[in-house]
Amino acid sequence: MERKGVTMGKHLSNFTKEVKKNKALFIMAAPAVLLVLVFAYLPMSGLIVAFKNYRYDLGVFGSDWNGLANFAYLFQSGTGWLITKNTILYNLLNLVTSQLLAVLIAIFITEMNSKIFKKVSQSIIFLPYFISWVIVGVFVYNIFNYETGILNNLLASAGVDPVNVYSMPGVWPWIICVFNSWKWCGYNSVIYIAAITGVDSQIYEAASIDGANIFKRIRYITIPSIKPTVVTMLLLQVGRILRGDFEMFYQIVGNNGQLFDATDVIDTYVFRSLLQNSNIGMTAAASFYQSVLCFVIIMVVNTVIKHIDEEYALF
Amino acid sequence: MKRKGLRKALAAAMAMALAAGTMSGCGSAPAKENNAAAEGTSTSQATSAAAGKLDTSKEVELVMYVISDRPAGQDAVDENLNKLLKEKLNCTLKINWIGWAEYANKYPLLFTSGEQFDMAYSATWLNFVSLAQKGAFKSLDELWPTYAPNNFAATSEEAKQQATISDHYYCVPALHATYNAYGPLYRTDIMEGTDWDGKMETFDDIEKYCDIVKETHPEMEPIDQYSTAPELQYLYMKSQGMAELSNGVRYLWYDPSEENPKVFSNYDYEGTPAFLDKMATWNQKGFFSKSALSDTDSTKIQNGKAALKIHNTETYKGLAISHPEYKLAYSNMEKSVAHLPYTQDCMTISNNSKNPERAMAFWELLTSDQEVYDAFMYGVEGTSYKLNDKGQFEITDPDVYNTNAMWAGVTDSLNRDQNGTPDSYTTMIDGFEAGIKSGEGKEKYVGFTFDTSGVETEIAACGNVQQQYWWPLELGYTDASTALADYQSKMETAGIDKIKEEAQKQLDAFVASQK
Repeated sequence: MERKGVTMGKHLSNFTKEVKKNKALFIMAAPAVLLVLVFAYLPMSGLIVAFKNYRYDLGVFGSDWNGLANFAYLFQSGTGWLITKNTILYNLLNLVTSQLLAVLIAIFITEMNSKIFKKVSQSIIFLPYFISWVIVGVFVYNIFNYETGILNNLLASAGVDPVNVYSMPGVWPWIICVFNSWKWCGYNSVIYIAAITGVDSQIYEAASIDGANIFKRIRYITIPSIKPTVVTMLLLQVGRILRGDFEMFYQIVGNNGQLFDATDVIDTYVFRSLLQNSNIGMTAAASFYQSVLCFVIIMVVNTVIKHIDEEYALF
Repeated sequence: MKRKGLRKALAAAMAMALAAGTMSGCGSAPAKENNAAAEGTSTSQATSAAAGKLDTSKEVELVMYVISDRPAGQDAVDENLNKLLKEKLNCTLKINWIGWAEYANKYPLLFTSGEQFDMAYSATWLNFVSLAQKGAFKSLDELWPTYAPNNFAATSEEAKQQATISDHYYCVPALHATYNAYGPLYRTDIMEGTDWDGKMETFDDIEKYCDIVKETHPEMEPIDQYSTAPELQYLYMKSQGMAELSNGVRYLWYDPSEENPKVFSNYDYEGTPAFLDKMATWNQKGFFSKSALSDTDSTKIQNGKAALKIHNTETYKGLAISHPEYKLAYSNMEKSVAHLPYTQDCMTISNNSKNPERAMAFWELLTSDQEVYDAFMYGVEGTSYKLNDKGQFEITDPDVYNTNAMWAGVTDSLNRDQNGTPDSYTTMIDGFEAGIKSGEGKEKYVGFTFDTSGVETEIAACGNVQQQYWWPLELGYTDASTALADYQSKMETAGIDKIKEEAQKQLDAFVASQK
């Protein structure tokens, strides 16, 4: 007890010394810290709604506690595990494919010689980022629609029987993955292009004088130099692994129950379940569940990375 | 010195957290005082002659929330209405809109944010009952009879019964009768020159009609089905005279013609397998798209891409007015026509309204004064609407202003028909009203509301199963021989039996109270 008090005091006095020393820096940081406190930490007190039977006339703090009852619907019919699994797998798949593609695109674009061609192709690859999921949803429907879709028209003109893609849940993870990569890879590649441009061009020159061809230069110079960027990007993405990109799933799959087993993620399940009965406690419970799992995943991944190479860890 | 500063900062942070806490709490505390004050004044007023006592010496602004997008021509309408209100009640009205794109999220937040407003539109489809159970609205026990006595007197007993949640009035239902009639609305222009017999009374007739559409207009989808819940089984059950437990629970049914009706589910019903077989055939024949549940186009019948849609009489009226060239016809297949719940459209008063008395007095005026009603509903005569010699109104430009979105204000005694309303609609509605006998068939159960507060978890889970397994089954996408059993087992794990039990208990209590 005593000793603890002493160390506490020591820490505090260290802190105040620190403040004294860097007054200007602390003042400059203050607004940002305050913003984070007000907009990120204070609202967390609202999380207690997840454990309450919320009543409008009693408010967040006045409502009665009801234990874990708000979490029950998530696991009521065994769907809780399925949607958690789907959310994680989808994010892993999307994470790997979209980042991998982005790195490839970034390398291709930086290796291009014609300036005009470079700019044009980069713009075209970037363009899908600006297309909203609502529009993408319409694309998807018009490609795979059984009666009038492009796919079945092509198949018919090739003399093949039409396929009803909307009754084949198994192919949807891939469809979603393709559209996700298509939409994001241009955007993500910009970051990698920046990282590659930052590499000292003298290294490349020296390598080509020593006889390294383009593949060797990529393999031994480009990839190692952007590795820290890749790791940071992956870590940042891992943080949102429990959050399904709601808009993407909702617009591509919509209300089509046949596909739910393969495509349902936490966000879409919660949205569907609660659209009918506006229970604030249950929605809060769902996002509480997501947040806790996210936290666990980040901690685990970060610790693993720390063990492998401390420099790459986030904190 | 410094340490003190740190402590101060911590204290400030705590204070802010506390402030946030009281902010969310303050919605309740003043409201309670208000309530008490209102009760105090109104009881004394109730003894002396009531409504005349309203103090209108101070000018107030009433704020009302409705669900819709703000019309471009609203300013002119407001100005005209407020001139009238200023003179009659020394108040003005400010309408706030919650747009269609955001109402599902924003509407429940109205009651949590602590925002000051007086009135809000509410409805069964906005979860009126569940919101009332959770204390979102002000109790109207004293306000309603005191400040809107004529409205109170004109409201039917069934309507009052529905406005009552946990022994208090929480809304003023619309003085407007709506009916549970349901059925196909269908184009007859495309049937000209075919050997169609013109009959539309049963599911077999729908099938015959769709066969002809498929043959003569292969580019059209015979039945308008997109990504929302299919209406086919709902209509089928209604055509058999069965009643759904509630709007949100369309998988539990009862037979209102029985003395003591038993609640049963989709898979308990004996007609279900045969019905599903029929749907599988319809699917084979291509009456609706095999990808319909992913189709987000909700305007297929409006745009001439579909021939028949299953919906209510109001949809029929709206489409018949906007598309006279389709020569739309309607056939009601509901076996037991009754009124719809009166809470279909209703007005609620906010817990933190500063002028609930004036708001209620305004409501009284709106629902009894033709001049105010016209100015509120239709806008400015000559500018936003015109009256023809039959007293029907015609909207000048629907893009500028097209009747008020506060549907709870619609009052049958003051309401005007819209120019172009088909005669068949008017005769049909008169027929419904004439056919309804109080206390018989479904009319006996109009006052029944299913209180879901004990089974919310199960309802959330079952609603999901319904969408995932029943919708595809209903449209014949999955094979009924195996998928029906699958659906049943999923429903059982989701807790349907608990809902059934709770529903049976409430229904029995309702039946007992009716005797």
